[in-house]
Amino acid sequence: MSNGTRPAGGPRRRYGRRKVCRFCAEKSLGIDYKDLRTLRYFVSERGKIVPRRISGNCAEHQRKLTEAIKRARNIALLPFASGLSSERG
Amino acid sequence: MRTYETLFIVHPDVVGDDLAALIEKYRKVLTDQQALVLKADNWGSRTLAYPVKKQTRGSYVLTVFEGAPSVIAEFERRLRIDEKVIKYQTVLFEGSVAAPAAAEKPVQEEAAPVAEEAAADEA
Repeated sequence: MSNGTRPAGGPRRRYGRRKVCRFCAEKSLGIDYKDLRTLRYFVSERGKIVPRRISGNCAEHQRKLTEAIKRARNIALLPFASGLSSERG
Repeated sequence: MRTYETLFIVHPDVVGDDLAALIEKYRKVLTDQQALVLKADNWGSRTLAYPVKKQTRGSYVLTVFEGAPSVIAEFERRLRIDEKVIKYQTVLFEGSVAAPAAAEKPVQEEAAPVAEEAAADEA
């Protein structure tokens, strides 16, 4: 299996966006599967969970967030898949 | 004794008194098992994120209770049998609840107006 040619996009950005984890910055903001307003920031248009490198969460809070989103999905507070439009993610 | 919370969805056709009666019935189911009911809130009718049992709306009821683990099994068994309950989920309760008022709901209602008066005085 050949990997194919590497795209010549230039040097990859190493720094990325140094976003701070929202939940670490503001300790009072808890992660609750019932708190849809907070959860919506971390779910894409199509209902997919936003990756950590985009949302800027720390590992611990991303894990808790994932669990909360999955619980909310189970109890029909959030959709499993929505949008169904042609746009990605 | 752990604190659990169960969120269940009631069929949208069950309204008003029927809904109140249903919530009371499940509150009794819990207290009959020596569980302490800390909260039994009705969020009202909401649109579901996806159809459940072909319904697009449902009434959400949140109950927080404290008891032995065997309470959950019995509670969920009852929920499963009931046709009016279309979905339920029980999780370990995270967070804190104010001291249970148990049967003294008026106590909580008195506390609310007092808090409002205090806020009005400060404003």
